[in-house]
Amino acid sequence: MITIELNGKQQTVPPGSAVTDLLSIIGSDGKSVAIVVNDEIIRPDKRSAHRLLEGDRVEILIFAGGG
Amino acid sequence: MNFLQLGSYTFSSRLILGTGKFSSATVMLEAIRASGAQLVTVALRRFNRDQPADDLFSPLRAVPGITLMPNTSGASTAAEAVRAANIARELSGSPFIKVEIHPNPQHLMPDPIETFEACRILAKEGFLVMPYIAADPVLAKRLEEVGCASVMPLGSAIGSGQGLATVEMLNIIIRESNIPVIVDAGLRSPSEAALAMEMGCGAVLVNSAVAVSDNPPAMAEAFAEAVSAGRKAFKAGLMSKSSLAIATSPLSAFLGAKV
Repeated sequence: MITIELNGKQQTVPPGSAVTDLLSIIGSDGKSVAIVVNDEIIRPDKRSAHRLLEGDRVEILIFAGGG
Repeated sequence: MNFLQLGSYTFSSRLILGTGKFSSATVMLEAIRASGAQLVTVALRRFNRDQPADDLFSPLRAVPGITLMPNTSGASTAAEAVRAANIARELSGSPFIKVEIHPNPQHLMPDPIETFEACRILAKEGFLVMPYIAADPVLAKRLEEVGCASVMPLGSAIGSGQGLATVEMLNIIIRESNIPVIVDAGLRSPSEAALAMEMGCGAVLVNSAVAVSDNPPAMAEAFAEAVSAGRKAFKAGLMSKSSLAIATSPLSAFLGAKV
C-alpha cells in the first residue's frame, strides 16, 4: 500500500491506484466533486488515467451551503 | 422588461439567495423556488463521506434556471481565493465567483487588500467577479476599474440581522457606480431589501434572513416581493422629501367657509 494525504489526513491506497479508484474507496460517485492532486485540478475525463503516487496531496471538494 | 445584467448573463430576478444555514436541502430548495431566485451562492468544502447531505450540488442541479455563484469563504489571502475560484469554476462550470475573504471569524469583515488583489487576478482570468466588501466607495470604484461585474457592499455584519447600517455609504457607491451594486449581508427584513432597491441597488443577496426565519419558503417569497416592489418604485421615481407640508387637498372653497 502507498500513503497519500487526503483532505489533510493520511489515507492508504493500493499502489498504482487511479483517482477513480480513490473515489470508490471513499464512497464518492465523482459526479459532484472537484479533485485536486498536488495543486493540479484533475478533470473528470482524466481521472481514470491519473495514477496516485506516495505522498501525493489530494483534495476532494464539494459545494456546501454558503452565503 | 427590466433585467439585471451581469457580464453576458441577464436575470429577471433581482434577489440572490445564499444556501447556508438551512435546516435541510429540501427546505432550501423550497425557499429557492418560492423566491424565484436565479442566482444562488454556494461554498467550496472538503468531501466528507460521513456527511453526504452537505453536498448541495446534486440537489441544486435539479432546479431549472439556477446559475451557481460559488464563494471563496475560507480563504484568508488572495492566493487562496484565486485557487478556490479556479476549483469552483471547474466543478460548477459557472463563470461567477463571489470573492469573500474574511480572516476574522468574530466580525467576518472582508479584507479589502486581499479582495482587491484577488479580483484583479480573477477578472483577467475571465471570471464574472462579484466582490464582497465593506461599503467603501473608493474601494468599490477601484474594483469596478479592474473589471468586476458588480460590487457587493455589506449592509451589516454577516448573519447579524442589523440591516442597512451602511445606508449613507451605499448611497455614495450607487451614485458613483457604473456596474450593479448588490447589497449583501446583514439584512433581516424584506422592508430593508425594498429600501435597498428603492435607493437604486441592482439586486440584494440574502441568506440568514431566509434560512433562519420560522418559515424559509414564505420568507423567501416575501423578500422576492419586496425586491420587486423596491425596484418598481425606483423606476417609477420616488417623490422628493420636503421639510414643510405640501397640501394634497385644496386649501380653499370649504363647505361653510366665509367668503
